[in-house]
Amino acid sequence: MLLAPVEYYRPDTIDEALEALQTDGARPLAGGQSLISILKLRATTVDLLVDISRLDDLRSISVADDGSVTIGAGVTYDEMAMSPDLHHAYPGLSTIAAHTVDAQVRNRGTFGGNLCHNDPINNFPPFVVAVDAVMHATGANGSRDIPAGEFFTGYFTNALTDDELLTSVTLPPLNGRSIGYQEIEIGEAAARAVAIVAMSNGSIESASVALGCLPIPVRRPAVESALAGADSTPEAVAEATAAAGDGIEPVSDADASADYRRAMAPVVAKRAVLEAIQGGHHG
Amino acid sequence: MADGPAPIHDIEFTLNGDSVSRTVSSRMLLVHFLRDELGLRGPKIGCDTGHCGACTVNYDGKVIKSCMALAVQADGATIDTVESLAGESGDLDELQESFREHHGLQCGYCTSGVLMSAKFLLDRNPNPSAEEIREAIHGNLCRCTGYVNIVKAISAVAHGDSGLALIERLNREHATEVDA
Ligand SMILES: Cc1cc2nc3c(=O)[nH]c(=O)nc-3n(C[C@H](O)[C@H](O)[C@H](O)COP(=O)(O)OP(=O)(O)OC[C@H]3O[C@@H](n4cnc5c(N)ncnc54)[C@H](O)[C@@H]3O)c2cc1C
Ligand code: FES
Ligand code: FES
Repeated sequence: MLLAPVEYYRPDTIDEALEALQTDGARPLAGGQSLISILKLRATTVDLLVDISRLDDLRSISVADDGSVTIGAGVTYDEMAMSPDLHHAYPGLSTIAAHTVDAQVRNRGTFGGNLCHNDPINNFPPFVVAVDAVMHATGANGSRDIPAGEFFTGYFTNALTDDELLTSVTLPPLNGRSIGYQEIEIGEAAARAVAIVAMSNGSIESASVALGCLPIPVRRPAVESALAGADSTPEAVAEATAAAGDGIEPVSDADASADYRRAMAPVVAKRAVLEAIQGGHHG
Repeated sequence: MADGPAPIHDIEFTLNGDSVSRTVSSRMLLVHFLRDELGLRGPKIGCDTGHCGACTVNYDGKVIKSCMALAVQADGATIDTVESLAGESGDLDELQESFREHHGLQCGYCTSGVLMSAKFLLDRNPNPSAEEIREAIHGNLCRCTGYVNIVKAISAVAHGDSGLALIERLNREHATEVDA
């Protein structure tokens, strides 16, 4: 397919990128694994692509002494999957990255692009919401931190202004908690849940549960309170997660109806919590 | 985009070991550039939506779908297409030879992409399991072979197996996976 005419610029620094983003109709191009599809469909008008895919400043993964992890927005899924540091600090996340789409998309698609694009099928939006990550943004007017819970604003939209870049994301220390990540795929992901669980003496000390495949990934506070202190048995977890789908508004499309997706929410939530209890996501 | 001349860029990169300089329009996809401007018909266009992998090439050491990148992004990069596999005289490399030997292709439309993904796998992991081979070609759709012979062909290069011994080992591996 032929793209509409568009200008292209590859900055060498974040500052150059931010300056270019001041231009009307400018848009960051990261891995391009969603944006190029959109440009092919001519579903949006872009005048200037600002190629941030080779900006070294966006491409590191660092683990702090307290165990928190900061991942550059330009880090690819493959780089996440291959990083020993990430594997050590956030094993479940490196497993998710290692199984995201396919080798070719993993070699190009970026953590930041995946979050900014916020397609309901995308893997990482519910993840950052579940762990209470902090999103670091930079624009011409300076830098700011956005809690993951406030970053997603609807289908394909986020809290950034047009001239801001997501530069990195900080995940708090796991401190021994385990990650569960479960989805049901029908064509593409139809329902997805992420659970972060702390255990104490064989029962659940605390849990956070987030659902994806939604315009805005959501936490499930009622489920989280029901899980706190609950037994780790399948029956207890099923009971605590039974209301996981209450009040969510998923899409109906060719893959699955909204009712089906709502009905599957407790199923994926239960599976994710049980997976976390059993030691965490290993693919 | 306002009316006016289409934006163009001068790019320089390494393609299958040779240095190439060209002027490209910034809206041109890498796959069109390779096929139509440079005459390399190895990378195919199967879907043009990033799903089928027929356009797979190696970009700076990693496989990508060339319909999901722009030609201008080749600037400064090292790109290898399936044309890089065979020797100067046209001798097939061992992976290509193994695909022939094990009937790893029928119509051949997916093959240049599958070969590039397989080579990427073996460069990284010379000793892959059948499951790792299947995962490595997850982004390459084949409508003909049913994948079984593709997995065999790749496995044969990695493990030097042939014939019955190979098939039996694959079956055993698969049975263990199903049991697990
Ligand atoms: C066949 C196929 C199947 C897929 N299936 C899945 C799937 O199952 N799960 C999944 O998670 N993903 C899937 N994807 C999407 C893929 O993960 C994309 O890579 C991802 O959605 C976008 O990341 P990107 O780096 O490619 O960003 P791009 O496509 O380059 O950009 C996406 C959007 O984000 C903006 N953006 C990017 N980076 C930044 C930044 N740092 N700051 C501000 N804005 C930014 C861009 O301007 C653009 O609007 C699939 C893609 C393909 C081709
Ligand atoms: S043509 Fe590129 S993935 Fe199908
Ligand atoms: S051999 Fe025909 S598509 Fe694979």
